Amino acid sequence: MPECQHRWSMTNIQFGFTVFEKCSHCQTVRTYFSTQDTWDEYREGLCLWSIVENAQTFRFDLQCTVCNQVQSNEDLLGLLYCTGCLPDCKVEILRKECAARKTWILVAFGFLPEAKTKPIPERKLQVLTDYFNQRRDTSRSTIKIVWFDQIKSLSLCRGEFIHDVGMLSLEAPEERKPLF
Amino acid sequence: MTTKDLIESTGLTPLTEFEPRNVDGVFVSDMLSDVMAGAKSGNLWITVQTHKNIVPAANLVDAAAIVITSGKKVPQDTLELANQHDIAILWTEISTFELVGKLYSLGLVTK
Repeated sequence: MPECQHRWSMTNIQFGFTVFEKCSHCQTVRTYFSTQDTWDEYREGLCLWSIVENAQTFRFDLQCTVCNQVQSNEDLLGLLYCTGCLPDCKVEILRKECAARKTWILVAFGFLPEAKTKPIPERKLQVLTDYFNQRRDTSRSTIKIVWFDQIKSLSLCRGEFIHDVGMLSLEAPEERKPLF
Repeated sequence: MTTKDLIESTGLTPLTEFEPRNVDGVFVSDMLSDVMAGAKSGNLWITVQTHKNIVPAANLVDAAAIVITSGKKVPQDTLELANQHDIAILWTEISTFELVGKLYSLGLVTK
């Protein structure tokens, strides 16, 4: 039986919030998806967790319209675009290389801290890339999604997540504050 | 209908340089998450948001153009990023409501 040439479509769309929180004791950053808009500080042992950023976003799965296979993206935090902040960052180097052939780079993030040691498999990133290319006119440009371990330094990165933070005020936010 | 036809028929002001392309449907939203979840390739995206993050969102969904309504001033960094990505940003002083009325009368609908 020939392998399915998947045609992906979004399914199980759920709107909510991406929460970045940081502990003032151990300085660890954690992220999670929430259906609730939350800004509360809380203690957990010695840790005191405060919200660094809370952005409106959505999560989704992908389903093949041919064979009905579903790819869960519950481990996907979001997509970030490179602002070219670190000239020797692998993402920036790749971004420049790909821009010449009109391929745009986006960086996929998983939920921290787990995603640092348990990356989203390359196969899943390829499905995401395929999905965003299948829904566009690829004769004009294409999308390529890479994993965030390509970023030279998370604490120095000033890339921008494509999510809604401070956007509804209609005032352009300044350069985003450090998240990591 | 192409972006060039649209500019001629509605008086929209182009703020960036771009190659004309077909417009296929309209999507109205001021939220990036909404656009990423719902907009389709070739859609005209109408918004009052002007932050530069609208450019990668439009690029991700392959929008034909972003239309900024109600005369909102578009920051220079947004325009520069749009030029890098060949994203059309069009601008009008009229409200989203009025623009949608004009587009509807031209036969452009949500798709």
